Amino acid sequence: MRCITCVTEKEVLYGKRVLLWLQRILVLYFSLPLSLMLRSLQIGLQSMQVHQQPCHIVYTDYRPTPLQHYFFPSGGNGLYLVVDEKGKFRENSFQKALNALVPPGEGDKKRENGKWQKGLFVGKAGEDSDIFKMVKMIIQRQYDPVICFSFSKRECEFLAMQMAKMDLNNEDEKVNIETIFWSAMDMLSEDDKKLPQVSNMLPLLKRGIGVHHSGLLPILKEVIEILFQEGLIKCLFATETFSIGLNMPAKTVVFTNVRKFDGDKFRWISSGEYIQMSGRAGRRGIDERGICILMVDEKLEPSTAKLMVKGSADSLNSAFHLSYNMLLNQIRSEDGDPVNLLRNSFYQFQVDRAIPDLVKQAKSLEEERDSIILEEEDSLENYYSLLQQFKSLKKDVRDIVLSPKYCLPFLQPGRLVSIQLIKVDDNLPSFSVKDDVTLGVIINFERIKGLSEDDTNKKPEDASYTVDILTRCAVHKDEAGKRTISIVPLKDPGEPAVVSLPISQIDSLSSVRLVIPKDLLPVEARENTLKKVSEVLSRFAKDGLPQLDPEDDMKVQSSSYRKAVRRIEALENLFEKHEIAKSPLIEQKLKLLHTKKQLTAKIKSIKRTMRSSTALAFKDELKARKRVLRRLGYVTSDDVVELKGKVACEISSADELTLTELMFNGVLKDIKVEEMVSLLSCFVWQEKLQDAQKPRDELELLFTQLQDTARRVAKVQLECKVQIDVENFVSSFRPDIMEAVFAWAKGSKFYEIMEITQVFEGSLIRAIRRLEEVLQQLIQAAKSIGETELEAKFEDAVIKIKRDIVFAASLYL
Amino acid sequence: MRGVQLSLNKTQKLRLETALEKLESLSSTTSNNSNASVTVADTIPINYEDGVLKGHGTSEMDGRVVATICGVVERVNKLVYVRALRARYKPEIGDIIVGRVIEVAPKRWRLEINFSQDAVLMLSSMNLPDGIQRRRTAVDELNMRSIFEENDIVCAEVRGFQHDGSLYLQARSQKYRKLDRGQLLRISPYLVKRRKQHFHHLDQYGVDLILGCNGFIWVGEHVEAKDDMVVDQMIKSEQENASLSGSVSSCEQEQSHTSVEIRQHICRLANAVRVLSTLGFMVTVELITELVDLSISHNLNIHEMLGAEFYVIVAEKEAERRSLATKKR
Repeated sequence: MRCITCVTEKEVLYGKRVLLWLQRILVLYFSLPLSLMLRSLQIGLQSMQVHQQPCHIVYTDYRPTPLQHYFFPSGGNGLYLVVDEKGKFRENSFQKALNALVPPGEGDKKRENGKWQKGLFVGKAGEDSDIFKMVKMIIQRQYDPVICFSFSKRECEFLAMQMAKMDLNNEDEKVNIETIFWSAMDMLSEDDKKLPQVSNMLPLLKRGIGVHHSGLLPILKEVIEILFQEGLIKCLFATETFSIGLNMPAKTVVFTNVRKFDGDKFRWISSGEYIQMSGRAGRRGIDERGICILMVDEKLEPSTAKLMVKGSADSLNSAFHLSYNMLLNQIRSEDGDPVNLLRNSFYQFQVDRAIPDLVKQAKSLEEERDSIILEEEDSLENYYSLLQQFKSLKKDVRDIVLSPKYCLPFLQPGRLVSIQLIKVDDNLPSFSVKDDVTLGVIINFERIKGLSEDDTNKKPEDASYTVDILTRCAVHKDEAGKRTISIVPLKDPGEPAVVSLPISQIDSLSSVRLVIPKDLLPVEARENTLKKVSEVLSRFAKDGLPQLDPEDDMKVQSSSYRKAVRRIEALENLFEKHEIAKSPLIEQKLKLLHTKKQLTAKIKSIKRTMRSSTALAFKDELKARKRVLRRLGYVTSDDVVELKGKVACEISSADELTLTELMFNGVLKDIKVEEMVSLLSCFVWQEKLQDAQKPRDELELLFTQLQDTARRVAKVQLECKVQIDVENFVSSFRPDIMEAVFAWAKGSKFYEIMEITQVFEGSLIRAIRRLEEVLQQLIQAAKSIGETELEAKFEDAVIKIKRDIVFAASLYL
Repeated sequence: MRGVQLSLNKTQKLRLETALEKLESLSSTTSNNSNASVTVADTIPINYEDGVLKGHGTSEMDGRVVATICGVVERVNKLVYVRALRARYKPEIGDIIVGRVIEVAPKRWRLEINFSQDAVLMLSSMNLPDGIQRRRTAVDELNMRSIFEENDIVCAEVRGFQHDGSLYLQARSQKYRKLDRGQLLRISPYLVKRRKQHFHHLDQYGVDLILGCNGFIWVGEHVEAKDDMVVDQMIKSEQENASLSGSVSSCEQEQSHTSVEIRQHICRLANAVRVLSTLGFMVTVELITELVDLSISHNLNIHEMLGAEFYVIVAEKEAERRSLATKKR
């Protein structure tokens, strides 16, 4: 990066790479003209700010080859044009597509998240799977070449296997493919040519079908890319990686899923991902339009679909984080100031940009608040706070009385209870309720319901109970077919229904019990019961429904209860005397006051965010991390990098702290080279592997040493208030490939080590390549502390692992 | 205090000796690892630990760890190394150094920096005067002498070691530049403490002080470090001014002239450094400015700072200061 006049960076922002590029842009010398191909304007603005240069924005969303978006409902057989090349969304064909969807396993709509995908691709016995039908159709309509995106490596291979019957190439092409394939494979040793991945791939390729994902051997991946570019592969099954960084468009793009697993759940593909992947459709200058097919296997809302297919690129959020290595390198150089780097970070930029908005928000809210003018505000406020107190006391009392301990014996079938109405539509639910309560007309707004109440789960005391209550309900059905039930007053129209309510929703228990019919299933029986309830109600209309007296009937013995009751009485007196209570429109006034209070609270919270964001976003973390470095003796108290810090400076491809500690504790010194390499593999392997077998004892021992060190480092970090999960950190070191790497360092053939472990070939190769990178850094580190023996050992290790297929040169070079 | 040649009278001698004795006694009580100093071929005890890492200045001989240089044994976890005293400068990445150009070679300058070999400053690892980052052309190469010539004093930063062990420097900032109008002092590198800041602008004197980690100390007239952008703007505004008033020349003349006052300040600071280094005290900005103040308060002329009396005063002062510091602790 030294002798350049202009830096051009394309797709500066994608996933993890963002971090790297951003840092690079940040530290670039400022007078450098930058030309960046971006997906977000914000970043351009930021680099402008950092580099103090004007930023010219050239913006386009023009596509030289327009896209058509089709839906392919699973189980159906036909494509439905959903968005045409002019970008119009066709509602009716969207509906048709959804109707053609054959719901697998009817009646059972609640499919579990993890299992939903299985049904689709297996297909019914004897029938072709959907993907097969789809590819056949595409070939018939001459929409090839096609890229089928799926979201896991295994699925990718699985789908390709289903294409076994298909042959998309003629004899000439087959010969061609074979020559290209073998000439590329020539650089591999004889043994490596026998790898199952290599030998299995050729027959597939010859039929014009390819697989491309990160688990492939790098050389295979490159061969497939070349073949695809030459048009010899008609149908390519790829993962998302194929859509990024490679310029390999096809005529058609197929999404085999509409959901993607993102670490913890299956979610819809985001519009950004959709754009990136569908962007591969349509070759400029060859195709008139690109075709993009989405295989849908479940109903989706038009809005979801629209968002996915027609949405804009994902908004960009900073994933910037501080690393110790970065920090040390900054501290080390005289004019490096980590604070400066942070100030220029994109995250900080985003936070800064949000501030004016917040200010505006706060202002408008303040205006709104000030516009609410109340007469006699003081006394009203007084009244309001009294209300609040009263309400909370009432709640306390109810909590005591209705605690399962006391009320369970009284939850017999047939007892009348009053239930709190939860008004969904009311903006200020708590408030209006309170108001009525204070006026002492409880029955007015909380209707006594007929009930058949079973305490269904008679669990021990403290468990929470729900009570089934027969009551008048309004039942709504929304489009999705979900039923929402809301309790309505007795006299309102609605059907009598039994609902489960938590005890807390019961307001009070009455002493009246009704005889209820045994069978409540027929509507009439329930209707009758409700009628009886109204009868009871009218009978007691004069002096209200007799309540269960908490002390006499329910034997509530609690001093806090008595205290609360006494205070309620006192408060009630106060209410009566309060002059404002008599004024008309009290309710509206109180509502206004309530709104005002809410606004004030909102303004407060906004101001708090503003304050915290004006401070440097990463300041606390920076402080904490510096504390860690000091505690571990990497830097002195006046920010001078110590010897340990210098070692950590060299290590950027692995966890610098743990590795440095490991080195300084002499762990790497006494073990054999192979063991050391195998131990270091834990630093570079990140994939989680189920049921990986344990490494042998001596390796296991080393691994525990590593874990101990990691735990110690993590604990120090925790003590210094760096937010870290110790166990998570420790388990981020995976021993899964220790055995394989050990064998590789011993000189085993690649196919031999592939038999030891189940990881994908490509992943293992990448891990070993990274391992070599770490070793190179360790060589530098050893040099800087003057430990020549260790240095020689690392060099030896590099020689041992750097051979054959793992470091086979790229075909592109 | 070896090698201090001072013409002291009897009382001064006595005072100096007591002060130095005091300092010595203080240092032996404060530093608990005084027994850890080794000479060549001394065995360093490792207590039969496993996995000991042998760092710089150590070697293994018949199963024993042996020192290969004179110095102090330092231990970091299981690493054992010897820190040399009174040796040549040992560069570390990120150090600020001051050096003298001894050769202009193809695409590079060679600098003498008191290291065991010459440091190399590549043409490509420094900013061009016009501030533009671009590929260095043959013309640039021919013009190298317009940037630095032989015998120029230059400050730069240690960038790293090449695979062959040669030391490379970089000067990618406005503050790394050719130093002129000042004095260069050479002291033992161990007297310069590594700190976060090595560039100091002493505002009250209008003087820049650069404490190079290699023991080369620069005291010179203050030069405003300018960003390229700012320079451009200034030039523009100056041109505008020039077109208005037409009197730039006087301004330029002033810039090339150092006032007597500043010259005196430079000499005073330089003498302070000389005194400190002869007495073998750490050279820090605080101490230097303290000495300058001390000399002024004693009404000493610049040349009198190098007189015996001042040495004695400084030694006494330092002894007092350190004893206070240890008491506080």
